[in-house]
Order: sequence, then structure tokens, then C-alpha cells
Amino acid sequence: MSHLQTENLTYIYGAGTPFKITALDNININIEKGDFVAIIGHTGSGKSTLVQHLNGLLKPTDGKIFLDGENIHQSKSKLFDTRYRVGLCFQYPEYQLFESTVYKDIAFGPTNMGLSVTEIDERVRKAAKYVGIPDEMLSKSPFDLSGGEKRRVAIAGVISMEPEILILDEPTSGLDPMGREQILDLIKNYRETTGNTVIIVSHSMDDVARFATKVIVMNDAKVDLTGTVDDIFENSTHLQDIGLSVPQITEVFIKLREKGYPVSEKVYTVEQGYNELKRLFEGSVNND
Amino acid sequence: MIKDITLGQYFPMNSVVHKLDPRLKLLFVTSFIVMVFLSNNFISLAFCFLVTALVIAISKIPLKTVLKGLKPIILIVVITSILQIAYNDGGITLVDVWKIKITSGGVLTAVFMALRISLLIVMSTMLTYTTSPTSLTNGLDRIFAPFKKIGLDFHTITMIMTIALRFIPTLIEEVDKIMSAQKSRGANFEQGSIIKRAKALIPLFIPLLFNSIRRAYELANAMTCRCYNGGQGKTTMNALKFSKRDYLGLLAVILVIISIILLNIYCGEYNAEFTFGLAI
Repeated sequence: MSHLQTENLTYIYGAGTPFKITALDNININIEKGDFVAIIGHTGSGKSTLVQHLNGLLKPTDGKIFLDGENIHQSKSKLFDTRYRVGLCFQYPEYQLFESTVYKDIAFGPTNMGLSVTEIDERVRKAAKYVGIPDEMLSKSPFDLSGGEKRRVAIAGVISMEPEILILDEPTSGLDPMGREQILDLIKNYRETTGNTVIIVSHSMDDVARFATKVIVMNDAKVDLTGTVDDIFENSTHLQDIGLSVPQITEVFIKLREKGYPVSEKVYTVEQGYNELKRLFEGSVNND
Repeated sequence: MIKDITLGQYFPMNSVVHKLDPRLKLLFVTSFIVMVFLSNNFISLAFCFLVTALVIAISKIPLKTVLKGLKPIILIVVITSILQIAYNDGGITLVDVWKIKITSGGVLTAVFMALRISLLIVMSTMLTYTTSPTSLTNGLDRIFAPFKKIGLDFHTITMIMTIALRFIPTLIEEVDKIMSAQKSRGANFEQGSIIKRAKALIPLFIPLLFNSIRRAYELANAMTCRCYNGGQGKTTMNALKFSKRDYLGLLAVILVIISIILLNIYCGEYNAEFTFGLAI
């Protein structure tokens, strides 16, 4: 049984009006416990709409969503339960901070869950640690923080609910390279420590190639490809056709191979590229 | 819920009404509102109704969309009608049970009032449906330009209006987004007592206010960067000019006003008993 599964999921914006747009068209996906899933697609491909279905924010026009085999729209209480079990962090989450202190803002989710004060305190400190927010920052106003700090506080606000599945919609958008690295590292650490399922929505291949165990490519409201990172990047020309690209370093190695150098194309990070080149120069390349 | 607000919404279509000069449309709607209030008998009101129907037909805007604009005022119409039926005791008594007394005069006045309010709203929404916010404020700007001589700076007011109208859809989108985000953290906007629900709005309004102020600063900076310094010597890209079509429209507007005045004079003040007799 899949952890999270969609069955013929279809969503139409403005159904019954002349302005209707099919945002999701017959989506069937399976996500297993512990997966690190990347949902990629260009702007308007339906990826954000899809993740808003996974925690029950949007009600599908047609089709079902199952969490551990149970339909999440079964009952109202089931739906609220789903919101806590599947934590969704929106794009630009820093614009949703509202409390007077960072501490209170991170505590918003756990408080809504009706947890005890000690439990809330424990979770807030734990979540703050995951995202690298030091204790002395907890008493500050979230509006006094820098952009990257605000984003981490907002992510902590979702993590503090201790969801079994954490979904992040474009978590690195609008950040500088260092901020991006920080966010991606904390997500990676979070997954390694907790073993929870993580889903990242992104349009940047460079971001996802490093960690994802499973990639779902969306195009034009449909699932275009699913598979491991290797499976997906084998179709580099197809990816370019639908407005996506392979990581820059992979592109370099594809070009090198075209020029006749015996290097692997399955290079997705600079580190892998470095090792591959080292092997090439030392003359011990495994041509696979 | 939020998406039902139609006031200030533009419905682009390719029709004569859409192409008319906004100043003419403003003039027409203002005078039409006055005329509807002056209408004192069913015949002139029926004429107003006919004019409204004609405008809707020419504008090619679907009737369903027009009627949607009436939705928010249904309650007002119903309350007004009930009050009229309850307190007006002219004409023939129709129902007299216990303390409730319904008279023909009450019913007719209720219908009259309901029709009057509906016509006002429909015609005002037609103005915003057929005129884009920019051209509307452009029209207002021009109409009130002469007042500058007596120290009333309408340019600032119309600029504020343009910006406000421009940001309505943006704000609606933002409200939707923040609500979804807070719902993801377990916020509940739909259940609980009134106090609880009012409190639930804090996580919505604080980010909304904060983001609006931030956006206002950004917009002000962007405008300053493009050398905006108020209305001083500002020209418009599409200067308004009365065309032949607009003069014909003006003629039609004048004819409508004269017709209503004449109908008011010759058909007299409406008399509940008389009209009710006619109806039977």
C-alpha cells in the first residue's frame, strides 16, 4: 500500500464557466514512505495545484487522494487530520508570518493541533534547531529578520507540526545562492534525521538532482515522466522540448561525450563532475 | 465568497457601449440614477427598465453576469420590500390575518422600490463592466480637471482610485493564498463561534496589511523612478476625444432624459388604487 496515492485526480478551475482551465488531468502518482520526491515542471504545468490537493486544500473535480489507503475527503475530521499529517509549505512562505515573536509563529500549527504547552515548547525548539534558528532569535519579531531567516522561520512553522510528509513548494525561489544552499541542506538534514517523506516542488533541475529518490515531471496538467533521477535525465532532449533542462554540469558532460571523451553522462553535481574528470585525467575511466 | 464581488470589474467585449467615451457613460449613468429616483409612476419606471435592457443587449454582456451583480443587494431589496408591505396601508386590503395586514398599496410600493434599487445597481455595474478602470478614471480626471482652478486636485483622487481598482484582484489573490497557507497550518476559518472566527482572521489580516504596505512602498518607488510628480503637466497616451459615435450617444442620452421627464409629467404620480385597478 502506498503512503500517499492519487487516483485519476482531475482539477478544473472555474468549472462550468467559459473561463475553465484544466489544471490537473488524470493524475496517478504513488509516494512511498521515506521517499524524497521532486515534482518538476515549468510555470503553469499544474505542480502547485497538485500539491495543494495532497493536503486537502483543494477538492478534486474528479478522482481521489489516499493517505495510507484512506480517502482524505472521507470526512471533515479526516481532512483536518490530513492537514497535520501532510505539512505544506507554500511558495514565499515568509509572507505568511503574522505573530509578534518567532516563537509564537512557529507554535501556531502545534497550538491549532491542541497540544499541551510542554509539547508545543518541545516541538518549537526542535523545529527551530532543524532550520538553524538560534534560541535568542525566538523572542524577536519575525518582521525584523532577513529574507532568508524569515523563510527558515516559515518552514519551521510547518515542520513543528511534525508531519509525516513534508511538502515544500519552490522553497528556494527568490533566494541568493547561499540562501539556497542553506535551505536545501536543512531539508536534506531534516529528511536524514527524521526519515520522513519529503516532496519538493521546483523548476530547477540543479536543486533536485542531488537528493531526489524519485522525480515526477509535470507538463501541461499531466504527469509526463516518473522515475529516478537517472531515468529522467536520460530523456534530456525531451526535457528540453517541454521547457525544462538537465543540470548545467550534466549538460557539460553530455557535450564532452558528444565530443568523444569517454565520460559518464550521469553526472548531476559539481562534486560528481570533479571526480569524473579526475578519473578521466588519471586515465582510469570506467566507460559505462 | 470573495470572488462574488463584481463591483469594479471590467468585462471586456467588443461592443458599441464599450467603445463609448467614458465621460459620456459617466454622464449617462449619473443622470439615469437621478431619473430613476425622479420616476414617480410605473410607466416611466417601465421606460427606465427598457433603457436598461437595451443597454445590456447592445453591450453583449451575458445576462447571467449582469444579474450576478445584483446578488449582494438582494438582502437590501428584500428588507425594503418587507418594510413597505408591512407599513404601507394604502389601497385595497388583500390579506388581513391576525396582526398582518397586506394591502395592494404596500405590494405595489414594494415592487416599485425593488425595481428602482435593482435598476440603479444594474446600470452602475454596467458602467464598470463596459469601462476599463483606467479609462473610467481617465474620464473622471478630465471631467473634474476644471476644478483645479478652485484648488480641488482631482488628479490625485483619480490616481488613488486607479491604483485601488488595480489592486482589487491582486488582493483577492493574496487573501486566497494566505488563507490556504494558514489552513495548511491548521487554521480554521469556517467553524466555531463568532469570536473564535474573528480571532481566526488575525493570521490573515496581519500578513495582508504588512504585504499591502510593502507593496505600496514599492509602487511609490517605481512611480518616482518614472518621474511621476502628480498631475502637473501630465499628458495621457490615449487622449479622450469625442467621436461621431459619442455625439450620437449624447443625443440618445438627452432623448432618454427628456422622455423620462415627459413621462413623469404626463402620466402623473402613481396611484396605488388606480394602477391596481388597471392590473386587474
